[in-house]
Amino acid sequence: MTQLDREGPADPVSVPFTPGMRDNPVELTEIPDEIAREPVALADPTLTEQFTEEWRNASYNCFSSGHKFCREVCPVMQVTRNESWTPTAFHANVVAMDRGELTIEDVAADYVNCTQCGACELRCPNTLFTGDFYRFRTRTVDVVKAVRALAVESGVHQPAWKTWNARTDELTHEPVLGETPISQEHVRDWSDGLDLPIGGETVLFVDCEAAFYRTSVPRAVAQILQQAGYEFGLMGEQWCCGGPAAEMGYVDQAKRFARHNLDNWRSTGTTRVLVLDPHDYISFTEDYPKYFGADYDIEVVLVVELFAQLIREGRLTPSVPVERSISYHDPCRLNKRKGIWKEPREILRAIPGLDFKDVDRVTQWSYCSGGGGGLPVEKPELTAAISASRLEKAAALGVDTLVSACPWSERPLGEAGDDAQIDVVDIHELLAESLGITVGGTRRGPGGDGA
Amino acid sequence: MTIQAERLDEVVTALRTVLADDQILTSKPDRYNRARVPAPFPVHRWSERLPDLAVLPTSTAQVAGVVRIAHDLRVPIVPRDGGTGLTDGAVPLRGGIVVDVKRMNQVKELDLENRTVTVGTGISMLKLNEQLAAHGLFYPDDPASYPCSLVGGRIGTSGWSLIGSRYGHTRDLVLSFDHVLPTGEVMHVGDGIGHKISKSSSGYQLKHLFMGHQGTLGIATEATLKLFPKPEAELSPFWAFDNYDDAYRCVGALARAGVATFAGAVLFDEWKVAYLRRDDEAYIPQPRDVRALVCAVMYGYEDEVRPAGRRLFRIAKEHGARYLGDEISEGDWAARHDRYATPLHGRTKSGQVVPMSWHCEDAAVNYTQLPAVSRAWHEIVADLRRRTDVFDDWGMFTYTSGNTGVDYLTEIDVGIWEQQLDDRAWEMWVKAKRDIAAVALAHQGSISACHGSCREGEVDLVPDELGRGFDVMLDLKRSLDPHNIMNPGKYLLDRAYETGPTP
Repeated sequence: MTQLDREGPADPVSVPFTPGMRDNPVELTEIPDEIAREPVALADPTLTEQFTEEWRNASYNCFSSGHKFCREVCPVMQVTRNESWTPTAFHANVVAMDRGELTIEDVAADYVNCTQCGACELRCPNTLFTGDFYRFRTRTVDVVKAVRALAVESGVHQPAWKTWNARTDELTHEPVLGETPISQEHVRDWSDGLDLPIGGETVLFVDCEAAFYRTSVPRAVAQILQQAGYEFGLMGEQWCCGGPAAEMGYVDQAKRFARHNLDNWRSTGTTRVLVLDPHDYISFTEDYPKYFGADYDIEVVLVVELFAQLIREGRLTPSVPVERSISYHDPCRLNKRKGIWKEPREILRAIPGLDFKDVDRVTQWSYCSGGGGGLPVEKPELTAAISASRLEKAAALGVDTLVSACPWSERPLGEAGDDAQIDVVDIHELLAESLGITVGGTRRGPGGDGA
Repeated sequence: MTIQAERLDEVVTALRTVLADDQILTSKPDRYNRARVPAPFPVHRWSERLPDLAVLPTSTAQVAGVVRIAHDLRVPIVPRDGGTGLTDGAVPLRGGIVVDVKRMNQVKELDLENRTVTVGTGISMLKLNEQLAAHGLFYPDDPASYPCSLVGGRIGTSGWSLIGSRYGHTRDLVLSFDHVLPTGEVMHVGDGIGHKISKSSSGYQLKHLFMGHQGTLGIATEATLKLFPKPEAELSPFWAFDNYDDAYRCVGALARAGVATFAGAVLFDEWKVAYLRRDDEAYIPQPRDVRALVCAVMYGYEDEVRPAGRRLFRIAKEHGARYLGDEISEGDWAARHDRYATPLHGRTKSGQVVPMSWHCEDAAVNYTQLPAVSRAWHEIVADLRRRTDVFDDWGMFTYTSGNTGVDYLTEIDVGIWEQQLDDRAWEMWVKAKRDIAAVALAHQGSISACHGSCREGEVDLVPDELGRGFDVMLDLKRSLDPHNIMNPGKYLLDRAYETGPTP
């Protein structure tokens, strides 16, 4: 009855074995193969061929799995239910390009439909159950970025992205105020009256959305730092971090912007950069090291982590009660991309008066504001739908406030919050309030409501 | 056969009378991404399996409108739900319109008193259960694809559930549904009057006919499901054995014990354990004398599951089992949907890691036939491996299908190195598939407990399996789908039209 009980002498293939073990019979490696062939390198590969050469195996790892467990956590899929706009499709298209079935022209527009939140990578069985062993992680975000870059390099542009990046290039900042012009002269306007020095060992980097639209966030951050007696300055000449351009495929532009910022830090003797925006945090900790290699010697500090530490050390003591019923929105780039979820909760638990209805970080893998990856530039209606769905989840908890830690999420979440009658507040604003700071600035752009 | 360009315009124009523009998808990537499911797929001939277009309806009326148009214009229709099936029901063989129901994912009615929920068939069980949890309820249809498969696909394939020994399988859990017939007429089908009735003797028992047809008899659009209290306790012990025979005897004894909370038992054979030793953190550290595993699962209230668990532990001990501990037991069962089938486990015989697609070949086999079937199946896959590294043996699981231990979902998992597929390799595969099905039939088993049996290779044997019943299938198909528009080319159903029209 045993599986091993068979007639005649067994050959090594007919008994259970684990390939690659040291004590396997040598015959296993000597059997001629009727089908499998070594891949042949192409003599003069096209752009697409170079691309598929690099991404082929990564894409087959998804294509050949067929699990699609990523699908129901994907924020875009949840609101569109369109299988063409899923992480599996983004990998399958690469397989199809590798086989000459599809071209970059065919697929480029589909890759707009991704916020680069990273939920799919976490939910992928390949990440979950072979990750530790192989140090493997499914890299859908990188695949999406690479396809977008291939599109731009191949001259295939998405109209709104093209305009957005051209204007960013011209203004050195993203055109976050629409037709209202923004410029280098105004990048520090948010700090009016705070008397902040320029340059120095540590500078606070303020992303475009916070510097021009939600100025209450950098004002809160700066004043909290001042209260804690933490020394810092502002950048000499701050340009956009370049991250959004990289996310939309405009890699050369992203690199130029990164070069400028690094050179500018060096010119003011800066070795440490404080970051209040999760998107910048990705740029400075993932993109910049790729661009500059070992040359990149800047310490990058996430403000939310710093504040949690300052509270732990007793250098900040929130004491003014904030009577709100809140839930916390895990920004995708902190929770899903960087595994940062503990510190924001630490801060919120230190604020007196809050009724905190928390939703765990794993449940929040499937939550998103829709504000990332250039989606609101090209498809604002999808961003709005994703934000509305996020606010629905907050409303089900019966809270009056949703707290985020990402300025880019707060505009779409805030607009959806208006409909749900839920106030969307930044964690730094809330902390400042509890520290007795009158923040100032605006939460809704010039002429918008103050904090 | 695909639609000619000028006819495509005619079809799209007609579809615009029932759908908005954003519900009609005609681009190449839209079509390429609705050509394939995880079942073995000849990726080297991808372009031969494309639909001409896909539609995303949001209501039964829209589905009916689309099907009516297809019926009038004689255009093939292929229903697609999760697209997670392990047979190729959702793969278009003759082009046409893919009807993708994913936007029909609403919960329509939750009846807490009668314990039912009515949903659009585009909802996944995972998402449904997230909503039901707030009421202390759950819908226990639990396939390996649980996080992404959809209620409609479960109906179309008559799915099998991992915990079906306790709660029943899809056919037991779906009480009734709205169904669009191949002519575009809408039918409500269940037991008798349907709706929330679980047992009726009125009329023919039509519900089963409209489940498991692989999209050849129409499209389920809205279903009423049976709900259970969310179980308070779960116990899922994993036991190790130093040989297959003891594990086999043990799983049989556990299944026959008649424990009411018993939700299923799983036997891992010696090839499966060797496979898991490639890189599974739970099994690499196990001593070499661990060669087979058994897992049993119980669900219920704490005061039911505890004594039942003691009984099963006693039985396991009598069969020489060694308990693997709480951590592996809880962790492996919790990871049951994710753990066992990742492309990174693919290996050539000499140990090179290559990305492989996971293919689970299943059959329904009686307990007493399991050892013979498993021997014969491994020999079929060994024959493939003697010829090429395109195929890899990932071992076998057998799962109880019911609560008495009469028959088992028996699966052999085969890795396929898709990058290397060509016509010769595909032919080898189709022959192996046919041989695997033949072994099941030779041992009085059924070709499939779970996936369906309409793929190339196995499908050749369906008339043998069903006998006179296959002719009844042909009669029903011809009568319900006079123009063969509903998923044509599947299940050899073209034979129903050999003297009549074909599209």
